[in-house]
Amino acid sequence: MNRTVLIVGGLITAALIGVLFTGLGTNPNEIRSPLIGKPAPTFALREVGTGNTIDVNQFKGTPTVINFWATWCGPCWEEHPILVANARRLQPNVQFLGVVFQDEESKILGFLQQRGSGYPTVVDDAGKTAIAYGVGGVPETFFLDRNGVIVAKHNGPLSADDLQANLQKVMN
Amino acid sequence: MKTRFFAIVLLLLAVSLGAQTTDTQGTLKVPDAANFVGEPKGTPLTGDALFHRTNEVGALLRCPVCQGMAISDSPSEMAVNMKGQVKELLARGYTEEQILKYFELSYGQFVLLKPKFEGVTVMVWLLPLIALLIGGAIAFFKFRKLEHAPQSSAAVEEPAPLQAGEPEDPYLARVRDLVSGGKS
Repeated sequence: MNRTVLIVGGLITAALIGVLFTGLGTNPNEIRSPLIGKPAPTFALREVGTGNTIDVNQFKGTPTVINFWATWCGPCWEEHPILVANARRLQPNVQFLGVVFQDEESKILGFLQQRGSGYPTVVDDAGKTAIAYGVGGVPETFFLDRNGVIVAKHNGPLSADDLQANLQKVMN
Repeated sequence: MKTRFFAIVLLLLAVSLGAQTTDTQGTLKVPDAANFVGEPKGTPLTGDALFHRTNEVGALLRCPVCQGMAISDSPSEMAVNMKGQVKELLARGYTEEQILKYFELSYGQFVLLKPKFEGVTVMVWLLPLIALLIGGAIAFFKFRKLEHAPQSSAAVEEPAPLQAGEPEDPYLARVRDLVSGGKS
């Protein structure tokens, strides 16, 4: 009987260790988006500053980077210069678009005036666009190919290397 | 005449401003649940029923910025927005199943506080049952073995009495001496 208990106990322990080991290789903050490989949810939102409506469909035919951010988010400040520099360098071959939610327009304008802007920024007032994109916390960035299909998603602040790696996926 | 002229100008201005506002608002577009889960399959809710149902469905959805908290219980702005969306969808007549599907399509199964009985999550439901069955089987066989164990094995054998002239074990004699207080 002791042998049976030992075998069963050993099997359960081995299974648990196996599960733990498979989890070790993954980042718990990187939850794979179910939207990858699917057409990006479409939206048309008000541009900060001008009040014009920007429809994401107008960027079809151009790889697009959609960055969800907010002025109260520290990591968004960190990645902002990288996004602006790359937008200035790569546009019009790559379109950049900022989507701000849970924020105030005056604060967004102040932020952009102070820290520079290289691409349009729209406001997602009730956060419905963010919800449709499965945004949990800001910043989160989506990379769309020419056909408007989401090819990659990055959670957290983008480094220059992260941006390049993901841009390569959409520009191929 | 002048009054009528000003009235017409004011009317035209109001109509123009109104049209402009409608136009700007009209072109704004947010992703709609209908594009993901189709048209509503239930009855539109209002009043208290809508309030209670919003909390019930919200209790099934995980707040993505909290630690294992439902959107019904979280005060975070993200959860408030999600709860607002649940309320809107219920008011439009979407069913609980459609609403959960809508959120799952954008957030994945992570957003569901009650895992679905499919794929890898089947193990979440089955493992406790399997563990219970294995434990029960081990306990059953263990008890059955104890029941069928021979009784004699537990009995203590009495030492054979000493034969006449047979020398006693010196240790046993010493113990006997100590117990009797050295009277023997």
